[in-house]
This record gives sequence, C-alpha cells and structure tokens, in this order.
Amino acid sequence: MLVDIEIDAREQTPSWIAYGTPLFAIAAALAVSVVALVAIGVNPIAAYVEMFLRPFGTVATISNVLVRATPLILVGLGVYLPMKAGLWNIGAEGQLLAGAIVGTWIAINVTLPQLLVIPVILFGSAIAGGLWAFIPAWLRAKWGISEIITTLLFTFIAADIQLYLVRGPMQGGSGGFPQTELLPEAAEFPAIPGTRAHVGLLVALLIVVLVYVAMNRTRFGFRVNFVGSNADAAEQAGMSRYRVYLLTLVAGGALAGLAGISEIAGNQSRLHASFAPGYGYTAVPIALLGRNGVFRMLLAALFFALLFVGGNRVTVAMEVPSAIIDIVQALVILFLITAEFFQRYRLSVSIGRRDDGRSIRGTEVTTDD
Amino acid sequence: MWMSYIQPPVTVMTDDLLRMESIVKTFPGVIANDHVDLTVRRGEIHGLLGENGAGKSTLMKVLYGMYAPDEGTIRFDGEPLRLDRPQDAIDAGIGMVHQHFKLIPRLSVTENIVLGSREPAAPFRQENLGDGLLATLRSSDPVQAVASRFSLGLDRPQRRISDLADQYGFDVDVSAPVRELDVGQRQRVEILKALYRDVDLLILDEPTAVLTPVEAERLFETLERLVDDGLSVILITHKLKEVKSVTDRVTVLREGEDIGTVETATVDRSELARMMVGRDVLFEIDKPDTTVGEPVLEATGVSAIDDRGVDKLSSVDVRVDAGEIVGIAGVSGNGQKQLAETVAGVRDPTAGTIEISGQGLADASPEEFVAQGVSFVPEDRHEHGCAGDLSVMHNAVMKDFRDEQFGDSVLFDYGSVGDFASELVDDFDVRGVSDVTTNCAKDLSGGNLQKLILARELARDPDLLVANQPTRGIDVGAIEFVRERLLEQRNRGTGVLLFSEDLDELFDLSDRLLVIYEGEIVLRTTPEETTREQVSVEMNGGGEAQVSVADADPADTATRRAADGGRSDQ
Repeated sequence: MLVDIEIDAREQTPSWIAYGTPLFAIAAALAVSVVALVAIGVNPIAAYVEMFLRPFGTVATISNVLVRATPLILVGLGVYLPMKAGLWNIGAEGQLLAGAIVGTWIAINVTLPQLLVIPVILFGSAIAGGLWAFIPAWLRAKWGISEIITTLLFTFIAADIQLYLVRGPMQGGSGGFPQTELLPEAAEFPAIPGTRAHVGLLVALLIVVLVYVAMNRTRFGFRVNFVGSNADAAEQAGMSRYRVYLLTLVAGGALAGLAGISEIAGNQSRLHASFAPGYGYTAVPIALLGRNGVFRMLLAALFFALLFVGGNRVTVAMEVPSAIIDIVQALVILFLITAEFFQRYRLSVSIGRRDDGRSIRGTEVTTDD
Repeated sequence: MWMSYIQPPVTVMTDDLLRMESIVKTFPGVIANDHVDLTVRRGEIHGLLGENGAGKSTLMKVLYGMYAPDEGTIRFDGEPLRLDRPQDAIDAGIGMVHQHFKLIPRLSVTENIVLGSREPAAPFRQENLGDGLLATLRSSDPVQAVASRFSLGLDRPQRRISDLADQYGFDVDVSAPVRELDVGQRQRVEILKALYRDVDLLILDEPTAVLTPVEAERLFETLERLVDDGLSVILITHKLKEVKSVTDRVTVLREGEDIGTVETATVDRSELARMMVGRDVLFEIDKPDTTVGEPVLEATGVSAIDDRGVDKLSSVDVRVDAGEIVGIAGVSGNGQKQLAETVAGVRDPTAGTIEISGQGLADASPEEFVAQGVSFVPEDRHEHGCAGDLSVMHNAVMKDFRDEQFGDSVLFDYGSVGDFASELVDDFDVRGVSDVTTNCAKDLSGGNLQKLILARELARDPDLLVANQPTRGIDVGAIEFVRERLLEQRNRGTGVLLFSEDLDELFDLSDRLLVIYEGEIVLRTTPEETTREQVSVEMNGGGEAQVSVADADPADTATRRAADGGRSDQ
C-alpha cells in the first residue's frame, strides 16, 4: 500500500475552483465543527441555521450585521492598503484605539452643530490613527525596521493609554465604571432611516470606492502596486519606496482610526475599557482574504461580521458557550486561508500499488527556463 | 502510454548507455517533445542543444523520472527503464545537477551530500555491533529503527567524499559549510553529490549559466576527467561555444522537434546555430561608422561600495559620447555592478561626480536620472529589472509611467498603457505573451523578459543606456536580437555603456573598450588597437595575475550572489 501525493502549481485556476473553494472551505469547516457542537449536545443544523441564515431574517437583523461590518470594513482597509505596498500593518488595533480616544475626546469637549461636529470628529480620529502609524511607518521607510513589530508594540502603548484614560482623566458617567460619559447627541452618527446602521457605513463604502479608484486608476496606485511587488525594481525606476511606505501606512492608520470612532459614535455611544474585541487583529485575515481586490476585501469584512453576529445569536439563543463559537469561527478562517492553497496548486492523491501512480497524473506546462 | 511494458525486454549489448526512443510529451496546447530520440554512448560528453523552450528540460525531466512520457521507451544499460520518480533514476545510476543548486547553505558539504541517503551513527552499524548485552540492545529492531531515523554517522561518508574529491581533483573542504563556498565550488559539491550515489550518467542543466569563464573552463576539465573514468555526461546548453569545445556528439532540439544528432567535430558553429534556430544566424554584426556627438556621460573620480560596505570602485573616470558604444570588460565581481549602478543613478557614489548630458547628478535620486534620459538594463533581470508578479503591461511602463500620454497628473489611463505595452511586445518580438494585462513578467523565459526590459528602456529613446550583461543566459536568437538593437540605438545617437563578460560581444559592438580590474580601469583602448589576448590578460590583473585567476578570490561576493540568486545576502 502506498499513498502518493503530488503537488503541482496550477498554470491557470479554473473559474469553478476560483469561486467554489471559499464556499467549499466554509462547508468543510462547518463539517469539522460539528464534532465540537455534538460534543456539547447541540444540534449542529439548528446552530448553523441560527448562525448563518437567521441574521438575514429581517431588516433589523441584517442591519445588525451591517453595524458590525462598518468598523471591520474600515479597519480592513487600514490593513489592506499597506499590504498592497508590501507592508504588514499588524497593529491596526492600536491605530483604531487612537482614533477612538481622540474622536471621543472631541465629541465630548467640542460643542458644535451636528453637521459640523461630525466631520471634525471624523477628521480628528483619522489624524490620530494616522499619527499613531506614523512612527512605525517612518522607521520602516527610513531605516527598514520591521513594521510588523513596531505597529504591534504601538498597539500595547495605545491600549494602556486607553485604560488609563477611561479610569482617570476621561472617566465619566455614573457608578465609576471604566468608561467615558455618553457622547452628546449632536456627536452621535445619525442612523440610516429605518435601520440601526449609521452613516459610518456610508463613509466606509465611500472609502472602499475611493481606494478602488486610487489603486486601479491613478499613478499613485501604480507606484504602490509596483513597490509592493518588487521594491528594488521600483526604486531603480525612480519610484520612491520611502514615500509609498510612509503614505500607505499612515493612510492605513487613518482608516483604522476612523473605524475606532465609527464604532463609538455610531454604535456604543461611549468609550468603554474594552469596546473593540480585537477588530484590528481581525482585520488582518480580512485583508489577507481580500488582498486581490478591494471589493473582495469588502466581502470578507461582511462575512466576518456575519460570523460574529451569527455567533452571538447562537450563544444567546441556544446557550452554547461562546468558546465553542470561537472555535467554529477560528476553523472557518483557518479553512478559508488554507483553501487558497488549492486555488494555486493541484493536489493528486493516489492510493494503491505504485504502478498506478503516474499514468493518470495531471498535466502541467513547463518551459526550459 | 508506456509501450515498453508490452514489448518483451530485449537486452542489446552495445556501446550505448542510454537510448531514449521516440519520446513524446505533450502539455495542454504544447508538444514539448515530439518523437525525440536520444542515444548516449558510454564515456562521451553528449550535448543537448536548443533555445529556451525547445524541450531540453522536458526531455531531461522525463529521463530523471519527474515527468511520465506520453509515448516512447527508455533503455538504460540495455535494459528497459521504468521511471516513476527521481529516486528511480538515482537508483538506476542517473544523476542530475540542476541549474539552481539544491544545497542547504548552513549545512556542511558532507551533510549536504548525504542528505537522503545518510547512515546511522557508528555504534549502531551492523559491523560495529559486536557481542554482549549492549550489542543485543543496540541491534534490536526498535533501537535500530530509532537510530536510523535520528542518528547521523558522518565519519564514513566524509572519508568517501574526500576520497572522491581527491580522485577528481576537487578542491573542496568537505567539512566547510556550503555558504562559505563560491559558485564553482558549490557546483562541484552538486557533482560530488551525484558521484556519491554511484552514477553512470550525469546530467548537467546549463551548468555554466552561473559561472565565470574561468570557472566554466575548470568545470569542463572536470567533465573530461569524469568521462575518462567511464562516466557519461549529458550537457544541456544553448551556448554553441561550449558544445564545440567539450562535447563529442550533440543532439539538437527545436520547438520540441528532434533536429538530429551529429558528431560535434563534423559541424561548425554556424551549422549548429542553423539547426538550433532554423535559419542563418549572423555572428558578425555589421557596424556602420557613426559620428560621435557631445558627451552624455562624464563620470569623474567615482568611488563606490557594495551592499556590505566593501570598497568596490576606486576613483574611476568614464566618458561616453552620444552615438558610441563603450564596452567594459572584466571578470565578474571587479566593480562592474557598482559602476553600472552608480552611473545609472541607482547607487550613490562615495566620491566623485557624475554628469549626464552636462548636468551634475552625483547625489540625485534615481528619478532624476530617469528624467535626464538615462536607461538601465540591470544585471539581474528578476531581482531588479521587473516586478515578476505584475503583468507585462505594468512592467512595460515601469520607467515611462510618468509620461503624459498615459493620462493627466492624477489619473492613469490603463487603456493606453495596454496599447503601448502591446506595441512594445510586437516591436521587440517578445514571445509567450497572449494578453499583456494578465500574463505575468515572471512567466516569460529569460530571453523574452530581457527583450521586454530592453524594449521598455529603448522606447524612451534615452541619451545614455547602461546595459549590464544584457545577453547573459539568453539564447542565440535573442542574443542576436539584443545586439542588433543596441547597435541600432547607438546609430540613433544614444551613448551606450555596455558591460559584458563575453569578449566576442565587446569586440563586435564596442567603439571603445575599457578593462576594469579590482575597481579600477586598467586599460583604455579600441577593438581595432588591441587583441582578445591582451584584454584577457588585463582583465586578470596583467602579468602577475596568471596565478590569481586559477584560484579566484573565494570571498568574491558577486559570484557568490549569483550562485544562490542573492539569497545569502538577505
């Protein structure tokens, strides 16, 4: 008995594989997750219906998904843009916190009519997120210091500053909880009529379109793509790696900052100690799954929002421990990212005697290079 | 499929070690091998000649068990041979030295060689077991199983490897880590790896692509020694000179077809070229006189360091006038790379001035050099010449993307960029491109990628073109094309600074010739005033250098970079 596994790079990915693998990967992840659900005595079919179908039941449930998707889209863009230039913005979480802190401070302390104060808040948060990314960006652009490490370390700084502020200078509201006082009504993002979704979603979608245009229709996007693909060659052609690194990472930070304030002013109304359950980290797999185009990134962000909202539903409605739902979510992400391997490589497994091994092998094209 | 299994095996006693008959291998849309025959005699060096894409590698992958042929038979040593995987080929006595070395830099030479066929440590080997309780324990199955997986006995292999190295005169320290070896030595390790497995037939895939001429010479001496000992060698190449100088017979492939096998002594270079390309190839290039114009490059007292901070260029003066080709001859690693990069604006000089068309640009950014009309064909096409993952279209406008014809100051008109790229591809006969927007640069063959890069650099009608090894590693047809284009550009008034290790190329193309040695220009002459011999001597440091050539500096970073594609530097 002999198991023969052959891995070949695909020359071209058939379209049924390109579009089918994500669906197949999700199905496979859910199939594996059945083990966990059955082990705690939950009917997996019922759980999956609750998780993936019920959120589409009513306008209210759909808008729940959109509310959750809003910060994920923005912070996903914050990782996606630097990724296009070949950078890993692992610390989007820190930039998100910086944006949330500054935006909240402006909302509480600046009194202006709603039409004026919201742009000021958005602007301030974007600046804060951008500044938070600036030092890692400069270190990377000027000295080549890994942005993976520096952005991550800056996240720890931001998190501790946030904890200090909500327990100290910015602490507000009754009961001494680690949170700020409620945002004044003028500073709250208005809801889209008939839904819970707020204008933050419109801002996010607008920026998705802007990023698409910037990447695919401008000279700047050409430079970013080139530097991201081969920075040495780009420099020889006179493109400035320094400028591209600095701009994309700072812009990414600004977008993450917007994600932070849109979650506060659009959804939670005040800055809690733990208001953002790792959106900045979730943004990394979102950007990774969507790295081939900003609209795919948008889809990935919506899917992750569905995972979170649906997961909450199962936890509440079926009394499933949230840890189990975390496992399901993690498996889905893991399978999705692994599945990309099958889009790029062909795997043929043959079991049996060796003589059967080769004659049915797939084909591949080679060049004498 | 495998016809040989239906036919009864017939053992034929001949001098032929290998007979591949009527091999057919197709890929979707491509016939890579169309009824190819290859017969290799015992003790001969057999050339396998063809342009890139002719099917040489496919044929050798069939022989090495990496591809199953659609039709055809293979006989080795008179017996039909069934190859399912490379291990079968190795077991049969076939060894292959790949173009890109498959060595692990951190491990020693011995460790690299025994990879995959190592022995357990001495105390666990059968002959060392002896008697007693301990021996019984050591010989028990579980202990043996563990020992064969987790212990490593290097003593005996090391002895055998150094014996082999001595036998063939390899100067390789078998206990040194591979990362400390230069390219030539690494290649000898690959050959040792094959010899260690007792091969009868050694396949070398374009072995000289990474070697300097001196190292190539040494390799050929080694090959002669191997065939004297009864081995057979298949040498895959597209260099006619090599075929002429070392092979006994040569088989030529063209676009998958078997053009024939000839005794090398009975054909000359131009006949071989015709077989390979399918038409007459001009070796002599017609070089019309042109009038030389104003200086386009004046580099004065330029010094530069390499990426490790080692001085590579000391106070070099170079002038190139409009409408002339200035050739720079030198053995790889003598500062050519640094000189090319410095005058092209990619590397900052540590001293000296650079004037492009009268403009002082020594401290300027690469962008200013590009704007001033400097084009650059870098030495490493993949590392510096293109972005492999981006489309042919992206790469075609890598330099010209700022041009007004591609949109206004912000927006970029990909429609007209695509048209421009398609034009370049047609003009320069870049093959293997069906759609400029979807084909990636990295999927082009070396020659076609080089044509694309040249097309891009020449489309700008530059004042100065710096071309570093523009024809290295590409096939004869593409070489001819590149040389013609360089001359054409010179006739149009561009000043060309041409770096090459191919003296024939330099003598054919250059109007003036400079020789660089250890970062200094040691000879300034013209092809008419000098001889290849004199240039050769000067390249190697003049009279005193005859010795130092043979054992070229092992710390030579440039050659080492070439060996592993620059990976050891990163």
